[in-house]
Amino acid sequence: MTAPTDRDLIQHTRRGANDAFGELITRYQASVFNVCYRMLHERGEAEDLAQETFMRAYDRLHTFDLEREFGPWIRRVAANLCLNHLEAQKVTAPLDEERDADESARPEKQVEVKERGAQVRNALASLPPHYRAVVELRHYQELSYDEIAVELNIPLSDVKSHLFRARKILAEQLHAPD
Amino acid sequence: MHLTDHVTDIQLNEYLDHESSERVQIDAHLSICDECTVRLTALQTLFAEIESLPELELTHTLAARFTPTPSLPVAQLPRWLTLTATLQAVLALIAFIVAAPFITKLLPMVQMPSLPDIFLQLQAQWTAWLAALSVFQLPTLPQIPAIELPSLVVALTLAGVSMLWLVGNGLLLRNQR
Repeated sequence: MTAPTDRDLIQHTRRGANDAFGELITRYQASVFNVCYRMLHERGEAEDLAQETFMRAYDRLHTFDLEREFGPWIRRVAANLCLNHLEAQKVTAPLDEERDADESARPEKQVEVKERGAQVRNALASLPPHYRAVVELRHYQELSYDEIAVELNIPLSDVKSHLFRARKILAEQLHAPD
Repeated sequence: MHLTDHVTDIQLNEYLDHESSERVQIDAHLSICDECTVRLTALQTLFAEIESLPELELTHTLAARFTPTPSLPVAQLPRWLTLTATLQAVLALIAFIVAAPFITKLLPMVQMPSLPDIFLQLQAQWTAWLAALSVFQLPTLPQIPAIELPSLVVALTLAGVSMLWLVGNGLLLRNQR
């Protein structure tokens, strides 16, 4: 028996089968959580916002266009929600110490990956919220400039300049001499 | 854009994002310009670093509130017992069908009291109970001798009992805190 598609699960949820939405969450919770974590850099907050993302999606599911793909859509909702959260906060939260390493890797390689991951996260955390959002949507969700402009409701010129400046800051942070 | 013009940082960003409208010209320039190629490589390295960020794992599922709690397993009767019950039902039906002609024959012969008779019997019983109740007398209790107590002793006893009640309740309440 083949697993139900996302579309099937959405239709089942619309008919009142809440466990179908539970299955959708199980499919996308890791990627949505990672969007939130890249944007917020704090595990607890990222988990809360990921949960909030799914609750929003559940509320809006009756208007969801079944021709669209659920995964990219829910990740965009998460990015927008995190951006609004950051805009409302206007403070940079202290960074979470997290393990970025692959468990199976060699110890020295593991440490190296962990350190580089922490550096990239630190650099991302230093970006203003809108810069973080464009980096998230371009690099991790692979949206085009036009799609980013629509998603964040900003002009195309702002997408280009935000992305350009964000990368400049990241390069300075990551390649600064120790 | 001329072949000898250097590529700007913004153009390089757009080129790597596949958003450039001057792709052919940039490719031509990069093939002859080491300086721009170095800048392109640096930007590619940055992209790779950003995109190589490892994914983290969730420590708990977010689907908990949408996942139904496993219900208790429903006790199923063994198959042989279900079959026995069916067999019993079939036998009872056969017995009823066999007995039906005899029942229709014997039923008119049974003497059953009519509904008014039952009602009259109940009424007679009730009247007899009422008659017995009307002549019932309570047994007389023996006389209790009157106890004469001085009012001072009564007052002191009441005061003592009140104090005891207050102290007892106080102790109970203190233990509850």
